[in-house]
This record gives sequence, structure tokens and C-alpha cells, in this order.
Amino acid sequence: MLKNHLIVALRRLIAQPGASAVTIGGLMLGFAGCLMILGYVRAERSYDAWLPGHDRVFQVQTVIRPPGTDVVHHQGSSFPVFERMGADFPQVEAITSIQVGKTVAEHDGAPVFLDAVSVDPGFFRVFPLTFLHGSAETALSDPAAIVLGESVARQLFGTADVLGRSLTTGAGDGKVPRRIAGVLADLPPNTNLKLGVISLRDPNGVPPPMRGWGNFDQQHFVRLKAGADPATINAALPAWEWRVVPSRLEGGAMVGMASVFDFHLVPITAIHLGQAQEGAIVPGGDARALTTLTVVALLTLAMAIINFLNYGTARAIARARDVSLRRLFGASRRQIVAQFTVEALIAAAIAMLLALALVEIATPWLEALLETRLPRGYLGENGLLLPATGLLVAVGLLGGLAPALYAAKGRPAHALGANRGSAETPGSARARTALVVVQFAIAIGLIASTAVIYSQTRFIARVDPGYRRDGLIQIDNAWRFTQGSEYDAARPQMQAIPGVTGVARTSLTLNPGEQPMRLMQRDGATDHVTMGFYGVDDAFLQTMDVPLLAGRRFDVARQGDRFDGLSPAALGERGINVVINRAGARMFGLASPGAALGQVVRVAFPGWDGDGMQMVPATIVGVVENTRLRTAREPLEPLVYAYEPQQTSTVLVRYAGARPAEVMAGLERVWRRLEPEIPFEARFADDIAADFLAADRARAVLFAGFSALAVLIACLGLYGLAAFAAERRTKEIGIRKVLGATVADIVRLLAWQFTRPVVLANLVAWPATWWAMREWLNGFDIRVPLTITPFAVAGLLALAIAVATVAGHALRVARANPIHALRYE
Amino acid sequence: MLSMRNLSRVYRTDTVETSALDQIDLEIASGEFIAIMGPSGCGKSTLLNMIGLLDSPTSGSYRFDGEEVAGLPEAKLAGIRKRSIGFIFQSFNLVDELTVRENVELALLYHGIGAGERARRVDAVMDKVGIAHRARHRPSQLSGGQQQRVAVARAVVAAPKLILADEPTGNLDTVHGEEVMRMLQLLNAEGTTVVMVTHSPAHADYAQRVVNMLDGRILQERRRAA
Repeated sequence: MLKNHLIVALRRLIAQPGASAVTIGGLMLGFAGCLMILGYVRAERSYDAWLPGHDRVFQVQTVIRPPGTDVVHHQGSSFPVFERMGADFPQVEAITSIQVGKTVAEHDGAPVFLDAVSVDPGFFRVFPLTFLHGSAETALSDPAAIVLGESVARQLFGTADVLGRSLTTGAGDGKVPRRIAGVLADLPPNTNLKLGVISLRDPNGVPPPMRGWGNFDQQHFVRLKAGADPATINAALPAWEWRVVPSRLEGGAMVGMASVFDFHLVPITAIHLGQAQEGAIVPGGDARALTTLTVVALLTLAMAIINFLNYGTARAIARARDVSLRRLFGASRRQIVAQFTVEALIAAAIAMLLALALVEIATPWLEALLETRLPRGYLGENGLLLPATGLLVAVGLLGGLAPALYAAKGRPAHALGANRGSAETPGSARARTALVVVQFAIAIGLIASTAVIYSQTRFIARVDPGYRRDGLIQIDNAWRFTQGSEYDAARPQMQAIPGVTGVARTSLTLNPGEQPMRLMQRDGATDHVTMGFYGVDDAFLQTMDVPLLAGRRFDVARQGDRFDGLSPAALGERGINVVINRAGARMFGLASPGAALGQVVRVAFPGWDGDGMQMVPATIVGVVENTRLRTAREPLEPLVYAYEPQQTSTVLVRYAGARPAEVMAGLERVWRRLEPEIPFEARFADDIAADFLAADRARAVLFAGFSALAVLIACLGLYGLAAFAAERRTKEIGIRKVLGATVADIVRLLAWQFTRPVVLANLVAWPATWWAMREWLNGFDIRVPLTITPFAVAGLLALAIAVATVAGHALRVARANPIHALRYE
Repeated sequence: MLSMRNLSRVYRTDTVETSALDQIDLEIASGEFIAIMGPSGCGKSTLLNMIGLLDSPTSGSYRFDGEEVAGLPEAKLAGIRKRSIGFIFQSFNLVDELTVRENVELALLYHGIGAGERARRVDAVMDKVGIAHRARHRPSQLSGGQQQRVAVARAVVAAPKLILADEPTGNLDTVHGEEVMRMLQLLNAEGTTVVMVTHSPAHADYAQRVVNMLDGRILQERRRAA
């Protein structure tokens, strides 16, 4: 019996190649999209799940509530956490403090940057990583010992077997010869850690400014004892903070720093998609985007399944006569259901095989687009085999049972009765129309969303950033280059490069990472505010070409502009001059840029002893335009500039009338002469800005891809239904033609039948999409207005596509000679 | 009213060439009632389709109302059909999804007649064939005789000059068959030309002229005494 079912099923697929292609093609697209997004979701959720005992490893994160500004969720925590938490919480088996940065080593005569992380001896107790050479016990036995990752070892030495060899890291005075005491197997790509060169940091040697509670430059991870409940610790942490974090005197009152920040444990596997992304070692994922993609993928799959069901029931009606005959000859209802189910399963299986092929082809493209690695392979926990099989069986059963039950339900006599064009009941036609409405609503929603996303992406790419972006180069890692005599030597050489018109130093880069926030208070105000405080030199504002709104820029000649190496206490006596931006003026409550001039604000300077705080009076001497240096999602940062070149580590170069590549080459020559031990890393401002757009742009592309997929699936479905309807209405159309209807009349009739559900779909799609897009746009600081245009465009596009899809059938049927339809029933 | 000269219709498939109509010469005057008879496959229905402009001749001439219609484009033919010709089929060919009233109205839908005028004419013709009380029913709720009356109503509502009936009584019992024949006779008496294909000699007797066909040719024409 099964063999018979299989034969019939395959013959039916082959006998109707067009219909089979439509059904299977749609299902294939739905499956493929779903499986790819599943892979992406799995990749994003698998971060550090490979770590042995990962369920007991937690990161100590910090929620910082700076006065007068937004809450910051930070992955770092204060260094004292490391010193006290292990002792105060017996559940903690091990705790480690890691600080991430970069170091320099020489390779083939040129300096190269290496990822570097300095850890305490307890690191390998929290992270039991695999050693290729050496062991965790001996690896970090003394400060001269380092552990290399496998790929770093191969990069530098050409082999991973480098135990006992030496490597000199650092530059200038910081140059230290090191002994390689271990080589680690490379970490999987799905990790929050970045290990290149691991060195020992003596916890007792950490300098006082780094030991303050307000410093979050290090990350802490704990491994809990087996059976320990992290919730208990999280519940106890607030009280612990009040106990251990010192309060400080401020304006005559004791202010507890414990009220400003809260520590809590976050499972290591929850870091990547977690809320806290400030201070992340590896850029985190976007949980919202992931959810959106999942929803879109499921909607696409739903559309494909709707096609499958719609087409299945439509065919079942067409086959009602055939089914009735079989039942007259004694076929049981079960046999008919089995026949339908086998057919649907075979169609679903073919679709799945094609979908898997499509996934194989499309995965590298998706990886490039999302800049991630997706799981490959079919077997195992993250394999595709299980979800693919599950999906195919579920869809196959659904697609077989629904129409089978429908077809088997009817009484044989009904379908065989004379003069009945079909066994169609009005109810089933309505259900199919409803499904078409749902499909087109999804398609219209996706098209409209794509249009909104596209125009927003374009808008943020073109918005005025508040400085001149073209003709600007940023040189990174210039922390030695910007200081003292080295810069005095470099500056004239850089300015001598043809085309260079300006050179400046800044601590505010074009792609700022951390926001160095300071507590501030305007004289006479009761509330404190928190704002970014950036050291720049006197050429910075001109070089950036930031419009001056009021007052003046920095002037080296004026004593009050300069810090002159004074201690915070001495600055507190003397005061400093600052320039603020427009958003800063607003934050201080100053009505206009002009009104800000001459106003005095007090800026908190960390004392030289770590925890102490000195409020330094700062006079506003200039107000400049806002600059947009982060993504368009983040609000314009209110900030204060101070003339403090000793705090800078980035050089900006403005050029004009010269070939960019030649300017860049000239800068590199100067750099090599003066800074041979550090790699030259410089980028054009335009390229840096493009990076900020990359994630949103990738999402836009992905969204557009899924919209196209959805439209295609909807069209396939409509095409199939139109074919079915045209076939079913052949007689009626024949009658109409005999009665004098022209081809145009008939085409209009059929087109209208399918236009109505599309029009209805607009009514469903518009409000839902409007809401979703408004939510999405609200995530941006600057945004395009939400107009009716993308919705109208999407609606009309869907309509045009629907009519074009149906028109072919309609034309064929309308042109057919009516006598064939009418003569033979 | 119409005249065919040397008219042939050949059906070609990949392998076979079938001559459905072979050099037909036929004249039909206005106001005639003609019955076409002959065994299955003799070309009766093809000839009727040809008369009704549902099929085009392979060769020969066909003048309808003095105008040569062989080779006219479909749009022109559709125009002549809706103005001048009404059709009645053996299998009624009513649209299942439409009510009786809507089925009848269908014949006026493509004439550009206003809704009020349409309603008036539909009511009148439904009264005439005696199905007004069934106006809201669906075809599947009617008996065969009632369905054919609806079909007749639909054929005549646009007041065509020519009514073509393809075995109009073929699916009906004797009583209902006679009823339809009397209706056609009445229409003819009012001046409408009627061309009917039938197997029934008794029903052929209603016609003034009987055309006998065999193998795509007209074998014999027989004019009944009035």
C-alpha cells in the first residue's frame, strides 16, 4: 500500500510540474530562511557555552547610575571586587580579574599589535582552557612568563611548539623580554574573551588610581562552588556594597558611592546578548535585532506553510470527484488520508533537501553580511539534521492531514452529483481568501518596513555630523607620539606633507569607545550632572572644523587654558578654562551659547590618591556645535573640552587638494621615522563613519532579503491559487464569453477577485507596520519622519505584483475558446 | 439573415486532421425556425458554434446580417454575439455561484445597460418563462426543467435576433422538454430566428425546416409544410 502511495505521489508531482514547482519552491524558500536564521540565533546564543562548567561561571557586571544622566550597564567592575568578593562570599570557588588591551611585538622586522590580557594567578581556575603546551599550574608562575594563543604563536614563530622560547613585548621603556610558558588552543569563535598574549598581573602591584571603586577598567569573573545559587549572591550584593564601599564627603554631606553603582552576577553565556555592552571585550549581539529576525523568519515560514495548505486543499477539492470514486470502490477514509499525507511529506522532503542546498550556498554570504560565524554541519547538538527533519515532518503532516480530512469528509454522492462544477463550499473559499490576506499583509508589512529602514539608513548616512568628515585622517595608538618632544618633532614633519593643512591631538576619537564621564555642577545649581570630559590640544577644534557658536577656541598662550601639570588640588585653587558643546550648554541649563560664556562650572577631578575627588572650577570660554561621533542610535553627547594634550593618544590630520593615499603614505613615513616600535594604524574619517552604519546597513540588507523572499512566496501562493481559480471557473468564464464578455472583461473579473484580498491585506498591514516602525525609529536619536509614502508604495507594489501574477492565468483562460469549457462537463 | 458559402472547419492535432465541417452552404432567413439533426459527431454542434461565432471557419465565407464575419477578431465577434445572439445549452450552463436572477442578468451585464433598466427587463423575462418565484434560488436548488427555463430566460433577455439551442431538451423529461419547445415556438412566433440542434424527431417537428447532417456535410434539407 505504501509503495502504491509513493508511486501515485511521485507521479502526481511529475504530472503537474508547474504546480509542484510552485508548492515546493515556496516551501523551500521558507525552510531555507528559517534554518539560516535558526543558525544565526544558535550562534548568538552559544557564546561561551563551550567552556567546561560554564553554568557556574559568572561575570560581575555593574549598573552605574551617574547623577543627571542615563544609566550605564557595564561589563567591568571595580578592582576591590576582586579583593573582597572571594573572601566575603563563601560560595565563590575562584575569582579572576582580567584587564584587556594591546601589546606590541616585533615580527619580521616590523612591529605588530597583539591582543593582550593581564590576569591574576587564579585565571585558569575560572577558565579551565586547553593547553597545547605547558599547563595551567606552571604557566603563570612569574611575571616574566606569558601564555600565547595558538594562532598568535603560529603568527610569530610559524609553529605552536614555542614552549620556553622568548618574546619581547612592549615599546620604549616598557619593552620587556618574556618567557613563553604555555600555549593555549585557540578559543572557538563564539566567545566573549579575546586572548592573544596572557601575562600575569600582580594584584598587589596594581597602582592606587586603578584601585578606586569608581574605576571599571577590569572585568571580574567568578566560578561558584557546585550547587551555589547565584540569586542568593545577587540578593546579598546591595547590602555588601553599603558595607564595603566607602562613602565620601560631598558638599558637607556624606554621599554613598554604593548608591551610584550596583554589582550583580550575570551568567557567562548571557553576556553576549545581555543588556550590558559597555566595556565589552568582544562586541555584543543585538538581542532585539535577533528577535526581529526570528519573527521575520517565522512569518516567512508561515507564509510558505499557508501556500502549502492552501494549495493542498485547493487540489483536494479538484480531486474530490476522484476521491469520491475511490471511496465508492471501498477505499477507507484512513487510506485516503494516508495517500494525501504521503504526498505532502514527499513534497516537503524535496523542499527541505533543496532548502538545505540553498542554506549551504547562502551561509557564507550571510556570515560575511553579519560578520559572524554560523554553525555548520548536520549532526550533533547544533546540527541542522534535527530541526530540518522536525520541520519537514511537521509541515508535511500538516500539509497532508488538513486537505485529506477535508477531502475525506465529503459524502461521495455530493461530489459526484450532476451539474456541479465543484465540491467547493463557500466556507473553504473564505478560509483560503483569509490566508491570502494574511500572506499579503505580511509581505506588505515587510516591504513597507524595508522602505522605512532604507530611508532611515540613508538619512543617518547623510546627516551632518557637526564636523567636516572628508579630508580627515585619524592616527590611532599615538599615546607616545602625542607627548612632549616626540610630537614637537612630528608635527612640523606632518605639516610638511603636501596637502596637509592641520594636525591636532585629541582624547575624543572619531570612534570613541568608553565615555570618560565626570561629575559636574554649575555654580548656583543644586543638582549635579554627569558629562563627558575630553582632553584636546589647541588645534583640535579647527582641525575637526567644528563650528564655533560663541566665545573662542583654546589658546596656548593663555595661562588659564593650560593645566601645566598642576595637581587637582592646585587646579582647584587656580581654576581652568573649558570649551563646551551645544548639548553641554543645554545640560548645564544655559539658554543659549552666548549665555554660557563666562559661566563657571565645577568639574570633578579624581585625586591623585585614587578615591579622593577634587572639584575644579572651570570657566566656559567657548561653545561649539555638537558632533555626532557615535551611532545615530545614541543621543548627541553633551561634553566639555579641556586643553590637556598630555591626556591625548590620537592624532587628527586635515588635508585638502592632495591625493588621500599619498597623504596617508606620507604620514606613515613620518610615523616610521619617529615611532618605529609601534605599528602605524590610521584611517580616513569617512571609513570610520561607515563602520557605524555597517550594522544597521547589514540589518537593512537582511530585512530587504527577507521581504523579497516573503513577496516571492506570497506570489507563488497567489499564482497557484489563481491557476486553481481559473481552472475552477472555466465554465463560468465560458458562459460569460458566450454572453458577450470580452477578454478584457474576463481579465478584470479575475484580477479583481485577487485584488480584493490584497486591498484588505493593506488594512491589516498598515497599522501593525506603522507601530513596529515607530518603535524602531524611536531607537534612533535622529530619524526620518514616518510618512504615508512607504506604506502606499508597499500597497501599490503588492497590488501590482498580485495583478501581474494573476494576469497570466486570467489572460490564458479569457482567451480560451468557450465551447470547450461548455460542451464537456 | 445569414449565409454560409463553401464553409469548412478542420481540426488539427499533431497526428490527425479531422474535417468537422466540409463545404457547407446554408442560408437562413430572418424569422425561420430551423432544426439541425444527425448522428453524434456529424458536425451539428460545430455548425451551431460556427453560426454562433464561437468558432471560426478554416475556409469559406460566412455573412451574418450581410457582413462577412469569417476571420473577424475575437473582440468584434464578442460584440456581435452579445448584440444579436442568445444561446441555450443541453447542460444549461448556469453559473452555480450566482442566483437565478443574477444568471439571467449576466446576459445584460456586458451591454452597458443601467441597473434599473436591467432589473426591469430581467423581471419581465422571468415572468414570461415562469421562474420569477425562484429568482433568489441557486441553480443547484432547481429541477432540470426549471434550470433550462432560466437558461432560456437568459438567452432572450437581451432580445437577440437569433437564438441558438444546442439539444435544449436533451437533459429533460418529456413534459419539461415539450415546455421548452413551446417556449422556443413562441419566441419564433414573435419574430426571433431559432436554430436548434436536436436528436428528437418529435421536437424537430416544431421547426419549419430540418437540416440533416452526416460526416460534416449537409445531407438533405427538408421544408415542412406550414
